[in-house]
Amino acid sequence: MNVLEFDHVTLNAVLDGGTVQVLRDVDFGIARGETLGLVGESGAGKSMIGRIISGLLPEGFLIGSGTVRFNGESLGAMSEAERRQLLGGKIAFIPQEPLTALNPVRTIGDQFDEYLAHLMVPRGERHAIALRQLSDVRLSAPGEMLLRYPHELSGGQCQRVLIAMAFSGNPSLVVADEPTTALDVVTQAQIMQLIAMQQARSGTALLFITHDLRLAAQVCRNIGVMYAGDMVEFGPAAAVLQAPIHPYAKSLLAAMPSLVGRRRMLPALFEQMPGLKMFKELSGCRFASRCGARDTTCEAGDAERIVGDDGHWARCGASCLILGAVEPGALMPAAKEVRSGVDPILTFEDVRLTYHASRGLLGMKKTSFDAVKSVSFSIQPGEMIGIIGESGSGKTSIGRLIVGLERPSGGNIRVNGHDPRDRLDHNAYLGRQDAQMIFQDPQSALNPRRSVMELLTQAMEGTGEDGPSNRSSRANRLANDVRLPPDCLDRFPSQLSGGQKQRVNIGRALCVMPKLIVADEIVSGLDVSVQAHVLNLLLEMNREHGITVVFISHDLAVVRYLCNRVFLMNRGEIVESGNAEDVFSCPQHPYTRMLIDAAPPESVGVKWPSVSLATM
Amino acid sequence: MIAVAGRSIGTKIRDFIGAIQNSPRVLVGALIVLCMIVCAVFAPWIAPNDPSIQDLANTLLPPMWSSVGSRQFPFGTDALGRCVLSQVIYGTRIALQVGFLAATGAAVIGTTLALAAGYCGGKVDRAIGYLVDLWMSLPPVVLSLTLMVGLGTGVGNVILSIVLVDWTRFCRVVRSEVLVVRRKDFVSAARLLGFGHLRIVLREILPSVAPLIITLFTLQVGIGVIVEAILSFVGMSVPADTPAWGMMIADGRSDIHAAPWVALLPILAMFMTVLGLNLLGEGLRVALDPRLRNRDAR
Amino acid sequence: MFKALAQVALRRLLDAVPTVFLLSIVVFVVLRALPADPLALLLPPNATQADAAAMKVAMGLDHAVPVQFVFWLRDAFNGDLGTSISFREPVTTLIANALPATLELSIAGLALALLISVPGGLWFFAVRGQRKEVVADLAIVSMLSIPTFLWGLLLMLTFGVAFGLLPFAGRVDSDAILPSGTGLLLVDYLIRLDWRNWLSALSHLALPATALALGFSPMVIRVLRSSLIEASSEAYVMAARQRGLSETRVLIAHMLRNAALPAITLIGAQLGFLFGGTLLIESIFSFPGIGNLMVQAVRNHDLPLIQGIVLVFCITTLLINTLVDILYVVLNPKLRKSS
Repeated sequence: MNVLEFDHVTLNAVLDGGTVQVLRDVDFGIARGETLGLVGESGAGKSMIGRIISGLLPEGFLIGSGTVRFNGESLGAMSEAERRQLLGGKIAFIPQEPLTALNPVRTIGDQFDEYLAHLMVPRGERHAIALRQLSDVRLSAPGEMLLRYPHELSGGQCQRVLIAMAFSGNPSLVVADEPTTALDVVTQAQIMQLIAMQQARSGTALLFITHDLRLAAQVCRNIGVMYAGDMVEFGPAAAVLQAPIHPYAKSLLAAMPSLVGRRRMLPALFEQMPGLKMFKELSGCRFASRCGARDTTCEAGDAERIVGDDGHWARCGASCLILGAVEPGALMPAAKEVRSGVDPILTFEDVRLTYHASRGLLGMKKTSFDAVKSVSFSIQPGEMIGIIGESGSGKTSIGRLIVGLERPSGGNIRVNGHDPRDRLDHNAYLGRQDAQMIFQDPQSALNPRRSVMELLTQAMEGTGEDGPSNRSSRANRLANDVRLPPDCLDRFPSQLSGGQKQRVNIGRALCVMPKLIVADEIVSGLDVSVQAHVLNLLLEMNREHGITVVFISHDLAVVRYLCNRVFLMNRGEIVESGNAEDVFSCPQHPYTRMLIDAAPPESVGVKWPSVSLATM
Repeated sequence: MIAVAGRSIGTKIRDFIGAIQNSPRVLVGALIVLCMIVCAVFAPWIAPNDPSIQDLANTLLPPMWSSVGSRQFPFGTDALGRCVLSQVIYGTRIALQVGFLAATGAAVIGTTLALAAGYCGGKVDRAIGYLVDLWMSLPPVVLSLTLMVGLGTGVGNVILSIVLVDWTRFCRVVRSEVLVVRRKDFVSAARLLGFGHLRIVLREILPSVAPLIITLFTLQVGIGVIVEAILSFVGMSVPADTPAWGMMIADGRSDIHAAPWVALLPILAMFMTVLGLNLLGEGLRVALDPRLRNRDAR
Repeated sequence: MFKALAQVALRRLLDAVPTVFLLSIVVFVVLRALPADPLALLLPPNATQADAAAMKVAMGLDHAVPVQFVFWLRDAFNGDLGTSISFREPVTTLIANALPATLELSIAGLALALLISVPGGLWFFAVRGQRKEVVADLAIVSMLSIPTFLWGLLLMLTFGVAFGLLPFAGRVDSDAILPSGTGLLLVDYLIRLDWRNWLSALSHLALPATALALGFSPMVIRVLRSSLIEASSEAYVMAARQRGLSETRVLIAHMLRNAALPAITLIGAQLGFLFGGTLLIESIFSFPGIGNLMVQAVRNHDLPLIQGIVLVFCITTLLINTLVDILYVVLNPKLRKSS
């Protein structure tokens, strides 16, 4: 008997006066001790599955048909009190953002104690159990940890505490909803190891929800791929990762840049996954509008399943198997030879950046933090440079130093021959063609009160040639360049998707035709299928307009796809630099090696993670 | 094309009106405030009598529906034989005048300093912050009374005293919002595109804090009405022959057993005005919040 | 934690000294150097030149304003705040006699306000999404539209005059003997176990304190409700529910603790408002506190008295702000850590 079973479950929601099928006919089971991965992009419905299990559905969401069973008993038939008894005990949850998942005004020990009390552990034993659980997750000084507050811990430490709490009750099922998304790649590997260890010890079944297909394939026995509320493919991890059947799964895989093998152009999937509001208008296969293999039966009714072998199936018409094949992208052309004898477009000479803060009684105690410690490099025009690092490594500071938003505490910076900070302070208008920045958070980077047309051509304001017709034609051209549909021009940022917003960002920077662009983590928040668009746009800008791109990211594969030269940063210093291919195939510095090892490999069967489980 | 640019402004206005129409609070509040404004502007035509004429033969006359009442004085008379209803109607003039003018003054000063403090940061912020903290170390009523002693009575001084006390509220609240907007990347992006500081403050920051200012302004008018009433209650507001609600309440207090209507009508008038302004202010705050408009396409 | 508390207290108090100083200067200047001629307000209409000159010297107005200030400061350090013109007694004595009454009234008002606001805020939060919410909302907005002094008048009219239930003038019955001690009547009578007078003091306190509380509560209820709403969508609340904790437990042990913080910030910021309310309330109820004293001083243009009372208000407000800051540090662990 399966620990958890979803038996043809449909979830309905009442939205704007109509009923929408948020989840359709979801069907899967998890056996004791097994791990199932639910993979999908944001909005695919995978989190809803977690909420169905906990019973904490938003207003207006109700199970339409089908049953959810836990150890044979129907969850829907239980009373509130019975279900609450299960929660925390037999069914435990590991949340997504560890730092905000604990009450900030109460100590860890307090909350652990409250939880153990809910599990009916007698008062005298609670402290001992808490200590034991915390040392099981490799937290040093567990006694001291119990006295601390959440904001005193790092993200990784908080997540370990939450894992410890989750496994305290010897659960039969643990639901982990994106447990490592907020963590850096090395911590992610450690946390996954930890979860696996705890799981093996208690024989717990694990439902692992994530957007990262490769990560899921490493830790799960079976994977279910979700798209717009449907489970479009299901099967053993190796099969789904290496030989997917459904066209969506295939294009998802093809759109993920890789760290090994020859570089190929990523095929971009146009449009984006339909949101909840659009479900009403879609009948039949919801992927049909983006599918290369679409035919008339797709929109008509539910497709039958194609059943492969070994329990591997996809929800699609049989013709899709053949027509839905995704061509591997063309091999990337070799990078243009960088012209020698030309002045570098960007130089850093022994640059340092230190932040100061005053603290203490009368502001007398001064502390300082070295964000950047003695960095030097030079970049030729037309290069595509990648700066890789985790948060706190100083990579964002470098980006801000390049465009002049920060003033260096020491050393010399030259962009196109000028000092960027001076240029910003004294000559911002004339100097704006030196360097521009594309910011990470498109929400914050676009003024919500302005239309897309105004945003794209913002640079033209106040120049004297900003008549409406000028702006309008320029906006049209820019929208074309960044592949934005023309009807977007009248919309406001809140009406755009993440990918579209990011393209407006790029378009705005392009309007001034800068010589250098700094792109700071611009694809981190985007879904994989949309990511490729933006990356290809950057490649085009570099190839056709000769714009130098400095691409800042923590994602190794993305950087490898884009850049010909890379710098790796750790704690404010460049620890390794060189040709991208060389660095990735033969890393010299231990930090680089650690990062590469920590990334989930692209095929199943390779031992992962090879990072050892450290004590924090 | 002009059509494109015009459409975006037109769409904005249409959004605004649409948002307002959906909010019953804004409608009710606006209606009440409008009534009061009409009373104030058209007082000579609406009021049944001249409020300053004293009819000493008819002091403390009850309202007209009582047995002893007279149709000439619909709401009775006060201790000096003046028509209560007329005084209340004319009283809207002082109340609204003080309210709106003081709110404007406080808004202008408070917002300007808030923009300077929030945008410039550093020493400017600390200096203005210190000034605000200093000002707010005294209860507002105490400060206004002291200012009135120093300035002397009169409508102009009342307005000045309210402005001098309440600009701090604007400054503090608007400054927090300015700080939030300041940190947004679109402000940095505008800098990088070469725009000067003044232009950025006026075109990026000010429009973002405008809804907050409008809300605060509306609420401040209500506060101004109340402060004026308090000051005239204490006798430190307008001269005795100008009809003011606070003074009517103070006068009516001594005759509260015999003639409660003298104090009741101005109390009611003040309550309705402030209620209308509060409803309007609150409703506007919700209606103008861009987070609640233009929902995502997804 | 105590280190952080001591730091906050010390910092606040050090900041307070220049603040008090500067404010005293401002008030001094306002009263003496602004258009209204202090002298003209104090003299009877038929005063002669000689009378005017004599009054000038008596008031110390014959010196330049900065010099006057230095004299006042010097005297203040010695505990002498001048003599009241209208009462002809030392200002310090008048204030010392009146201050306990205001303190007692303010504390009673604040306590009542909390008693009303906390359950009120919880209830307002609990009815969200239901029909009752509209009614509750309207009730709160209406309450907010009634200024404190109006509450005082309304309470006096209904309970005092119309129903004759509670007294509405003074602190105690006119034949009662005021005990010596703290000056806080409830405390003093309690110590002496004088129940009759204790009840009398309590009943006299009832209406004015309720008026203060009613003027103050609506804002607190509002803030409490909105911070509870915000807390209920926080990640840690969802995580607590996922752990199977009951909704009541989640509300009290998790949400309320966090929601209290913005409410306390608001209370702290608005305490000046509460304090200011005592001015008119004391005047309406003939309550012998410094608020009442201030109103009379203002009516009589009694400059030394006004100056002295303003000083006291300033110091008290700063002390209260310090206490609120300390309370905030106690409740919010994020402020305690130094790094």
